[in-house]
Amino acid sequence: MKEYAIETKDLKIYYGKKEVIKGINLRIPKNTIFTIMGPSGCGKSTLLRSFNRLLELNMDAKIEGEVLIFGKNIYGEDVDPISIRRKVGMVFQYPNPFPHLTIYDNIAIGLKLNNLVKSKEEMDKRVRWALEKASLWDEVKDRLYEYPASLSGGQKQRLVIARALALKPKILLMDEPTANIDPVGTKNIEKLLFELKKDYTIVLVTHEPAQAARTSDFVGFLYLGKLIEVGPTKYIFEKPKNELTEKYLTGSLV
Amino acid sequence: MSGYKTRRGKDISFIIGITILTFLGILPLFHIIATVFINGVPIIAKKGISFLTNTLSNGGIGPAIAGTFILIFLSSLIGLPVALLVGIYAYEYPESKIGRATKTLLQIMLEFPTILVGVFVMSMIAIPMGTYSAIAGAFALAIILMPYVAVYTQEAMREIPFTYREASFGLGLSRVKVIFQILVPLSKRGILTGVLIGLAKVAGETAPLLFTVGGLYESYPASITEPVGAIPLLIYTLVQSPSKADHMMAWGASLILLLIFLLIFIPIRLKLKEVRL
Repeated sequence: MKEYAIETKDLKIYYGKKEVIKGINLRIPKNTIFTIMGPSGCGKSTLLRSFNRLLELNMDAKIEGEVLIFGKNIYGEDVDPISIRRKVGMVFQYPNPFPHLTIYDNIAIGLKLNNLVKSKEEMDKRVRWALEKASLWDEVKDRLYEYPASLSGGQKQRLVIARALALKPKILLMDEPTANIDPVGTKNIEKLLFELKKDYTIVLVTHEPAQAARTSDFVGFLYLGKLIEVGPTKYIFEKPKNELTEKYLTGSLV
Repeated sequence: MSGYKTRRGKDISFIIGITILTFLGILPLFHIIATVFINGVPIIAKKGISFLTNTLSNGGIGPAIAGTFILIFLSSLIGLPVALLVGIYAYEYPESKIGRATKTLLQIMLEFPTILVGVFVMSMIAIPMGTYSAIAGAFALAIILMPYVAVYTQEAMREIPFTYREASFGLGLSRVKVIFQILVPLSKRGILTGVLIGLAKVAGETAPLLFTVGGLYESYPASITEPVGAIPLLIYTLVQSPSKADHMMAWGASLILLLIFLLIFIPIRLKLKEVRL
């Protein structure tokens, strides 16, 4: 049996009594960019947050079913959510580097608080590595000790990507990472996604079909909490099997 | 056109009205500050620096100033750690029963008659110890300080956008690390404001000290288990005296108290190194 990066089995998510994710079976292969697309409010962000148990910050949220990360159910009884979040990094819709920390410390803090590096030299090396990986090093190497407020939106977002990469996760979850970024910044980030694909599995959430078409290997179309259609990007965009998918892609879905 | 003119007339009279009322509202503050300076400056000018260092019978309020600083220091030592933890608890568990109760209790404590705190501490500490003391006064002031700092802490942390909380947990950190190593430093400005407001409040309190510290104006305090003085308490005592000279001393002490208060308050206005989002 093939092991997937992420696999869900009859996953259901409730907010209070309201069912927002309605029994989803999904398989995300390793080292691909998998896009979950759908209109606002369809449950994309909720679904994404169940992959690293970040959903638990919301007291009302309740989860049924299984989420397997590399074959292991992360909702098993003996699983520590903290260890999951270290393996599954996340980037958010609003570029959120910690405003009170310098660029350097934004990368270093996760490593420091998780005791993942032993010396100052190792820290310097890892910070540089993460910034290079996120294609940001050349732009910030002379101002590592400035605060992120001086960066553009796209740079902030790449800083956040570097912050996540520094922990050396296996999977990166991205919740509409370019929603608040200008076109140039968006292009840079999308370019970066192709680079990262070699080493990571990327799950991207977007409400822009065009972005899904540009970036991803596989696409899942989520609508009202149900997974309507999944497949290789090319097939979904050229020959959608489901009527709803077609309507969504042509912009006629209300 | 006439409709427009009446509206405009109403608009202007409304603006004039609220301007006057606002002015009347803040007038007492300026009046107090002016009066304290006008009456306080001459006595301090006359006595010079010795006003700040001498004992009362030598024409100074040195022991009272020392007492006030000791009380501020001790009450912070007792009150601040508790207040910060309570505030963080109320922020982190807002929906739990204890969390909700904590918030309500803090609101009540904010408005609680301070003299009752004095009576309480007297019966709990001063009477069992058999003496007035700095430590008893500090306990009373810590009880006053606590709700201010706790409420400000909770509010400051509540203002942190949720996305930073998600980002912190997303790094695979425990709740304790998220709170103490990321969210508290992130909201340090708001928390410090609360601390300073609490200290300013404590520096000027009289009622909780009436039955707890005893007063000490003829020598400097030597031990925290013995009576101490405090500037507001000294003012209270001096004003009750019929002697004109005592009243002069009270004005001088008032000016010093006002300056200490402003010294604590000004940093709040100067914006302790603001965090830019």
